[in-house]
Amino acid sequence: VRARQARIALPPSAAPALPAALVALSYYLAAHVGFALTPQGSAISMLWPPNALLTAALLLSPPRQWWLLVAAVLPAHLAAELQSGVPLSMVLGWYVSNCSEALLGAGAIRLACGRAPRFDAFRDLGIFLLLGALLAPLLSSFLDAALVTLLDWDGGYWRLVSARAPSNMLAALLVVPLVLTWAQAGGAALRAPARRLLEAGLLLGGLTIVSLLVFNWLDPGARRAPALFYVPLPFLLWAAVRFGAIGVSSANLILAAAAIWGAVHGLGPFVDGTRQDNARDVHLFLIAVTVPLLLLAVLLDERRHVELQARAQRQQLAHLSRVALMGGLSGALAHELNQPLTAILSNAQAAQHRLASGRLDGAELGEILRDIVAADRRASDVIHRLRALFKSGETQLRELDANDVVREVLDLAHGDLSMRHVAVVHRLEPRLPKVRSDRIELQQVLLNLVVNACEAMSGVVARERVLKVETRRGAGASVEIAVLDSGPGFATSAEALFEPFYTTKPHGLGLGLSISRSIISAHGGRLWGCAMPGGGAAFHVQLAAALPAGGHPTLVQ
Amino acid sequence: VDDDGAVLTALTRLLTSEGLEVRTFASSREFLAQHGPGRRGCVVLDLAMPEAGGLEVQQALRDDECGLPVVFLSGQGDVPTSVRAMKAGAVDFLTKPVEAVALIGAVRRALERDAIQGRIAGLTRREREVMAQLLQGKLNKQIAAELGASEKTIKVHRARVLHKMQARSIAALVRLCEHARPE
Repeated sequence: VRARQARIALPPSAAPALPAALVALSYYLAAHVGFALTPQGSAISMLWPPNALLTAALLLSPPRQWWLLVAAVLPAHLAAELQSGVPLSMVLGWYVSNCSEALLGAGAIRLACGRAPRFDAFRDLGIFLLLGALLAPLLSSFLDAALVTLLDWDGGYWRLVSARAPSNMLAALLVVPLVLTWAQAGGAALRAPARRLLEAGLLLGGLTIVSLLVFNWLDPGARRAPALFYVPLPFLLWAAVRFGAIGVSSANLILAAAAIWGAVHGLGPFVDGTRQDNARDVHLFLIAVTVPLLLLAVLLDERRHVELQARAQRQQLAHLSRVALMGGLSGALAHELNQPLTAILSNAQAAQHRLASGRLDGAELGEILRDIVAADRRASDVIHRLRALFKSGETQLRELDANDVVREVLDLAHGDLSMRHVAVVHRLEPRLPKVRSDRIELQQVLLNLVVNACEAMSGVVARERVLKVETRRGAGASVEIAVLDSGPGFATSAEALFEPFYTTKPHGLGLGLSISRSIISAHGGRLWGCAMPGGGAAFHVQLAAALPAGGHPTLVQ
Repeated sequence: VDDDGAVLTALTRLLTSEGLEVRTFASSREFLAQHGPGRRGCVVLDLAMPEAGGLEVQQALRDDECGLPVVFLSGQGDVPTSVRAMKAGAVDFLTKPVEAVALIGAVRRALERDAIQGRIAGLTRREREVMAQLLQGKLNKQIAAELGASEKTIKVHRARVLHKMQARSIAALVRLCEHARPE
């Protein structure tokens, strides 16, 4: 791969040239957006996105390429600004203040985060808000106002600062999270299932209509109704809760675009004061809306992230304990494979013997072949189930028949049960409601209970080793699976058995039951044990019944 | 005796293809229930079965003082179990899946042992006493003195023992009896 890259390699400086050109082009376009959002007769745009865009670009590229990006936006800056008839010295001054804002913001964030900030981490968002959205626009506004006053192009230092700073803060709040979240997670977001894309479309479409309605279309008499400001809120919360930072930053952009467009063109609620008042109101409104929404979205993202991590860990642990469980059963599983192999070999050799002695008729050969095929299928079923249990994968909750799972587990444990001379009695209630569960994980839990029960009975005389497995409808709309043994029961409280690392076996890890319980809890069910009055232990798994396909409102506990 | 129907059918086919007569039992309980003291032949026992495994069945047979020879068939031939089984008088301890030659060989040996035991059972008490002495390598005169009988009578008994045991010589008789009781 390296050799091929070398052959088609561009000159070393050409690799970052493409992104630099792209940044320059976006800067140029963003400047025009800024001009379009500058009210008539004002020097300061209501939203000036180029600086924030440059900040985002710097954050996304390695610091050693920053000089290139900064250099690349100079022609874009000149091309955009010189069209507006501003003196060259002022244009260059603005270039300095714009770049200083981007460099200051990106540099400080990078130093504090140690990398490009991620908007699924609360700490990174805090750093961005403080350094990128507050400090950098404010400090660069001092510089900008000083330059403007120095060059005597416009008067009023503090007026300039107070007008430019909020405008640039808002731009940073809108543009940086938008660009970063889309650059970091946009691909994955677009590959989401169609239903989610449809939901996102509905959300953004709805928000666009509502925002246009409130900030642009509504009849001037209704403009000052404060309640109208809250109409977009449901959509914004929807974005935060369902789509996280990427959703909120996209939704914020739509809201801001509508509000600012209205204010610039004398539409909507921000038109009654002086030009400065209107701009300040729009900025305050949008900053006050976007900051908490970003915080909320990132908080939810982070929680989701932690939950996913915990789930992945639980799955990993479940898989490991499953592998350990299967390792303990390996002797019994060899037996399970040996049985059909024995049947196949003996059937085939019987046929050979009869063939050799000329006593094989077609009907008998057919029977022998049929038995060989059946035994072979049986062996491959064992392997198939084993492979499924060894697989580690996402938990997949499906509607299952608990009786099927019980039968599969008893099949799997058959070898172990035989080797330990345990007789099995199962009483499975017919026509049980389905349960929502992961087949493999439920098998694991039941297998673990069965193995435990067998081990508990090792001290009992062979003819009294009885394993009972029962299924029945439980309280409420639930299904209960009980595994009962005829062992000595247990001396401790039943709850102690579920503590991690509690074990009564010489080589046990003591994790089986605690992992089983966490699996069943994750299925929304319960797992508990009790000693039975006549001796022996009983373990119960209770799972909520799934809603039947017909949509009968069977109540779930 | 095997709790697995498919294995039972396959082994039956194999053994009947050798011209052997086979009766099958799906559990040790079923086998022990139908088992009578006069039954001859041999038993092929699965080691791992619910309730009572092969070793327990072997023990039950010994408790009944039934000499039915046992061939064990096991999924996993671990050494301690096989030693226990052989010490308790098993003819062979085979692991599944079993080769036809090995199984048939073991069954034939077991049947031979059973046949010899049958012949021993056909001896009278006196003949058995004489045989025990013969096996110790004693001469007719010594045996006569030991049992308090005339040498001529012992000679007759000795001829009957050899005839009933289908042995041509004392050496052959010793071999036969060693084969019948490996303990």
